[in-house]
Amino acid sequence: MGLLQGASELFPVSSLGHAVLLPSLLHWAFKQSDPSFVPFLVLLHLGTATALLILYRDEWIVIVRGFVAAAIRGQIRTDTERLAMLLLVGTIPAGVLGVFLESRIKSLFASPYEAAVFLIVNGALMLGFEVVRRRAERRSGRPGSSRPEDEERFAHAERISFRAAALVGACQALAFLPGISRSGVTIGGGLLAGLQHREAARFSFLLATPVILAAGLVEVPQLFSNGVPVGEYVGGACLAGVAAYASARFLLRYFRSGRLDPYGWYCVAAGLASLALLRFGA
Amino acid sequence: MLGVVFLIVAALYALGVLQFFASTSSGPHYKHMLLFGVLGVASFIAANFARERVV
Repeated sequence: MGLLQGASELFPVSSLGHAVLLPSLLHWAFKQSDPSFVPFLVLLHLGTATALLILYRDEWIVIVRGFVAAAIRGQIRTDTERLAMLLLVGTIPAGVLGVFLESRIKSLFASPYEAAVFLIVNGALMLGFEVVRRRAERRSGRPGSSRPEDEERFAHAERISFRAAALVGACQALAFLPGISRSGVTIGGGLLAGLQHREAARFSFLLATPVILAAGLVEVPQLFSNGVPVGEYVGGACLAGVAAYASARFLLRYFRSGRLDPYGWYCVAAGLASLALLRFGA
Repeated sequence: MLGVVFLIVAALYALGVLQFFASTSSGPHYKHMLLFGVLGVASFIAANFARERVV
């Protein structure tokens, strides 16, 4: 479960959707209503957030310094300060929607059938993002140019507008629906805002870190409730962290020239297969 | 002013006085506290960005 959560949290394939679907399809004796499930999930998220912090450790130091400097000065002077403020602007809508809507939405759509349907919707969204992106590339592109050349015509994360950062941040709320991928919708939102694929993934990962970390840290006291096997859960969290780190490295390399389409097709296929298995019995 | 209001709301959630939009009806709500704390800090930063500067 730790490996699954760590890998699928950053891949645009919905970790929540897989967490709802797989135990049901594989008949794992694993209940999400169990009181010890929340602490387990908390530790897995902390593992993922730690992996992202390690991956971007140098960048986070510069971002935090830039944030403090720009906040005190009341003025943005460098790209890093702008990125720090963009992350704040993107995090606020995600935080507001997360605190007020997350548990309500999750409880409304917690069944495997709904997760499978939303997984198909997620796939359609990924494919849709790429259709829009290809149009933008055709409008601005030169015939015969290579993929890396096409990508170079699009922006870095620091150049996104504040309104776009807020919209990308708000897109994260869609991921409360099991089957919709947080990284998928934020990478897609970044593409619509005119970012390079790799930069959209980078912005998505940077945006995810404070939200995942804060959500995890706030729930830490639950780990110390009676009957929680902390040792086993920490093992799961370490695996989640390793999987998340490897996934992020892979995705950042992949998005130098890769697109969202394979993940879109995977989600559509996995959603349809899950629906069939749930309907006719695995 | 808005920042102060947000920080007061954050404190009230932390003390368990406020229960609006909370999943349980008693006790402190740390997620809400954190959110309103961040909103408070963001308001102060926004106010600092918006103030007129003497060149």
